[in-house]
Amino acid sequence: MLTSTERSTTPRVASKDLTAPWHHVDGVLIAAVAVVLAMGSVMVFGATRHTDGKTDLIFRHAGFLVVGVAAGAVIAAVDYRRVLAWWPVVYGVAIAALVGVLTPLGATVNGTSGWYRLGPASFQPAELAKLATILAVAAYLGAAERVDWRRLLVALGLLGAPLALVLLQPDLGSALVFAAISLGMLLVGGVRLRDLAVLGVVAVAAVALVLGSGRLDEYQQDRLSNFLSTDGQSYNVTQAQTAISSGGLTGYGFGEGPQTRGGFVPVQESDFIFTVVGEEFGFIGSGLLVALLGVIIWRIWRVAQLAADHAGTLICAGVMSMFLFHIFENIGMTLGIMPVTGIPLPFVSYGGTSIVASCVAVGLVESVHMHRFSR
Amino acid sequence: MDTDSQKVRLGALGIVAVSLFLALFARLWFLQGIERQEFEAASVSNRLRVIQTEGPRGRILDVNGKVIVDNRTTIVVALDREQLREKVSGLDERDEADLEKIRTTLWSDFEVTATALNSLGVQPPLTAEDIWNRYTDKRYSPQEPVPVAEDVDPLVEQYFLERAQDFPGIIVERRTVREYPYGPLAAHILGYVGEINDQELLERGAVVPGSDEVPESTTTIPGQEPKPYEAGDSIGKTGVERAYEADLRGTPGERTIEVNAKGEMLDVVSDTPPEAGDDVWLTIDIDLQAHAEAQLARTVEDIRGGVTEDGRDITAPQGAVAITDPMGGEVRAMASYPSYDPRMIVNGIPTALWDELQDPANGLPLNNWAMQGMYAPGSTFKPVTALAGLQTGFINPANDTYYDQGTYELQGCTGGKCEFRNAGGARLGSVDLPRSLTVSSDVYYYWIGENLWLGRGTWGDQALQDTAFQFGLGDKTGIELPGEARGRIPTPQNRKEAYDANPEAFVTDEWFTGDNVITAIGQGDVLVTPLQLANTYGTIANGGTVYQPHVAYQTSRAIDPTEPPGAEGNFEVVRTIEPVEKGQVDINPDWYGQIFQGLVGVTQEGTAAAAWGANPTAWPFAGKTGTAEVNDKADTSLFAGWGPAVAGETPQYAIAVVVPESGFGGDVAAPLTFDIISPASNGQLDPVCPALDPERSECEKSKADAYARLAAAQQRQDEQAASGGVQAGGGTQAEDGAGN
Repeated sequence: MLTSTERSTTPRVASKDLTAPWHHVDGVLIAAVAVVLAMGSVMVFGATRHTDGKTDLIFRHAGFLVVGVAAGAVIAAVDYRRVLAWWPVVYGVAIAALVGVLTPLGATVNGTSGWYRLGPASFQPAELAKLATILAVAAYLGAAERVDWRRLLVALGLLGAPLALVLLQPDLGSALVFAAISLGMLLVGGVRLRDLAVLGVVAVAAVALVLGSGRLDEYQQDRLSNFLSTDGQSYNVTQAQTAISSGGLTGYGFGEGPQTRGGFVPVQESDFIFTVVGEEFGFIGSGLLVALLGVIIWRIWRVAQLAADHAGTLICAGVMSMFLFHIFENIGMTLGIMPVTGIPLPFVSYGGTSIVASCVAVGLVESVHMHRFSR
Repeated sequence: MDTDSQKVRLGALGIVAVSLFLALFARLWFLQGIERQEFEAASVSNRLRVIQTEGPRGRILDVNGKVIVDNRTTIVVALDREQLREKVSGLDERDEADLEKIRTTLWSDFEVTATALNSLGVQPPLTAEDIWNRYTDKRYSPQEPVPVAEDVDPLVEQYFLERAQDFPGIIVERRTVREYPYGPLAAHILGYVGEINDQELLERGAVVPGSDEVPESTTTIPGQEPKPYEAGDSIGKTGVERAYEADLRGTPGERTIEVNAKGEMLDVVSDTPPEAGDDVWLTIDIDLQAHAEAQLARTVEDIRGGVTEDGRDITAPQGAVAITDPMGGEVRAMASYPSYDPRMIVNGIPTALWDELQDPANGLPLNNWAMQGMYAPGSTFKPVTALAGLQTGFINPANDTYYDQGTYELQGCTGGKCEFRNAGGARLGSVDLPRSLTVSSDVYYYWIGENLWLGRGTWGDQALQDTAFQFGLGDKTGIELPGEARGRIPTPQNRKEAYDANPEAFVTDEWFTGDNVITAIGQGDVLVTPLQLANTYGTIANGGTVYQPHVAYQTSRAIDPTEPPGAEGNFEVVRTIEPVEKGQVDINPDWYGQIFQGLVGVTQEGTAAAAWGANPTAWPFAGKTGTAEVNDKADTSLFAGWGPAVAGETPQYAIAVVVPESGFGGDVAAPLTFDIISPASNGQLDPVCPALDPERSECEKSKADAYARLAAAQQRQDEQAASGGVQAGGGTQAEDGAGN
């Protein structure tokens, strides 16, 4: 790995600066994201065009795409080290937003107070908090060679605070995302394996405590217990699997999926968007989507290895863990192998905050890639 | 942290990622590649709904093609209780306090509805209370609309359709119901239609809603597709409607629609229109049927309240007539008194009417006594006994006579009843077989009865009954109408079986000589239905062939379904119902001649001569009176016979008439038989006209024409007679007049 001192000795050629960020754009990552975003738009259109009151969602989705792509591009252009420098501010704002959403300022949707209503739009602070937490932990752990127990405790504090706050909403899905981010970043961050093992035991105990505390709402317990006993599958899961499975190898074709046309899968444009791909494009279409998502994960993993510094690697590890969990949980629940939690499929599901946050996350990774030769 | 360690740790993360993606791919392939068909079926049942519409029922026609059962559309105002329940959701109808709350909540709606219906002139007038009673009516399934007013004017329909929002829970439906152009005529034969019940659904291979029971099988006509049923459909419950259900039933139309998750229609996937059921052509002659019913009702109503010669009250709770064609078993008419009007029950049977129809004090008008009533045949059984005597060889028709002193003493009688008497103790002198029938000598048949029993070593212990069994007595005739009674022919064996099964109910399990003696004259335990009796005389008339009586001879459907099926020539026969020979009775020509002679004598000089004497039928009639004693009640009056009874001429009608608790056979049943047969014999049956206006005028016109033709023919005959021409007909009339 090149160091900055080595780089400074390289003669600079004004007309052809090989260290310039725009020479190191990861085109494969961007292409994969672009194709998945395009597929997502088609799916959202397919899921909403037959449903009264939802036909304008595709236009809003397009709007979010523009905002998301723009935000991602801006973040990519900025050196991630400068972004990292702002972590206390970003993290502070995110935590404040998570606290604020629990107050009457927040709106309650489906029993979860995880939203801010801003006129016609709404905003989910948990999505921002995921990125802020990744930045904070990356900055904090990236600054040190070794992770002693004091640093570990601080890092755990940085990770645990938003996790606890989203649990209070209560938003089990986002809490699990924070857990996944924590696991990935602590592993890559250099936490001793012994400490990780202890943490694992503590985490399992904590989960058992939470489940037993009765703090979880009934619907969340139902979702979990539904998963644990496969015979009493919920309506959602049955309809989702029916849609995907009946798509077969090639699918019914766009706009022809009966389950989609009839609106049999609930919240199909967001949490259950994968069912549209499965039913209308079959194994070929849904396999392609999963493969493209795999390409995105692979490229992020690759950037993690190429990153100029430890903090850059950690950003990538955090983003990768976040996406990996989102993808596996979201698609897994529509396939009936994961419990139903309301987290979106990145780049594909309808939802402004999710789209923008995912684009910004890719922007961060791209920044790590582009600026790995910058000083 | 060293670079190698970081690489290893990133590698671990990569392995986790690869594993998770492999899991997703594996599951995806499992669902879409392997389990696909199963889930596809679930997807289909999710979105496709099949809506069945019943096809119009086939019509029922008489032997000449006159429509006696048709269809018509009726408009029904009904309560949609599902909709009303939304208004009172959360309240439990089974809870009394809640029920009161429901009543209070809905009361004003019911008052508004009742007021509207009454102001529109709907009959009978309704109150909110009436509508409430319908709301709580348990006879209708909760999902089914409950009729509030039936057969309302189209204006009422329009009124409610225009103001649907003002009358929540009120719907107006058009239903197709049966129409009876001849009113209550032949009600017992035709039967009625009602809503299919769970048992009937299962029998016809349909699923009962809310039940896990698997349908048994599908009853259908061989070579025809079974017609599907679903809950709420109508089905024949009794009579021809039930017997020919598979023909009459229309093929339901099937409309398959695609719906969304809310149940809203997205698309019509397929649409098969319903098809009308087949028309059934009866063997019944509606003119003869009308005449038989009218004469039966008139007779019963005339004699009721009188007293018999032996001082018993004539109550005549019922009466029955069965007329068949001796040459094939076709039922030409079957009358049962009292009757009911099927027009009253086309929209279901109201509770009050049902109670009335089920009350024995009203004579059970729903019963078809002609095939469900069982009566002791009395002397009408004597031809059977005579044949038993002939078949065994106990009687030799050439020379056997017996001297009837009015009483009969059992040979070597040691105890119990030893002496049997003729009715009224009449001494009839020397009788041979024909004479014994003509004057109805009981003693002659006591003599046969005793000797058949005494000769049981040679002929078996049921020689008498064996002959009755040849006629099919003691068992159902096999007529296709449901509910037929078996009747009863007592034998030593079945008496013992009955006793062994239930010793408390019987005096003895032994068969005595006396039992054979009274069985010989159709008393004791012998029971027959009027239909069995008519069939027995038909069998004698045709020389011994036992036919299975039937009421229909063919089914047909319209060639061009767009044209009315009644249009001239617009029908093709679907299937023909052929006469069925059930057996043969051994009657050799000698015996036939004896019995024939005796039975013709009955109407000419015997026990029915008084009934026939004044105005004889156009042809000689062979028959037998019967007077059956029933303990402590007035006698059952019977008559059975056939005509024309002319050597070499084909007999046309076999008839049995039974009026219980009314007196002598010669006094009630014989005159009634004459009254029924007389116009049929000379072609003067009054054509009945359908009660409906459009066809009536035409019918009345043809009726008038028929009268005019008859009058002209009569006039010609009179003129010829006056001009001195020697006519056989004129001569017969003079003779009969002298014999009167």
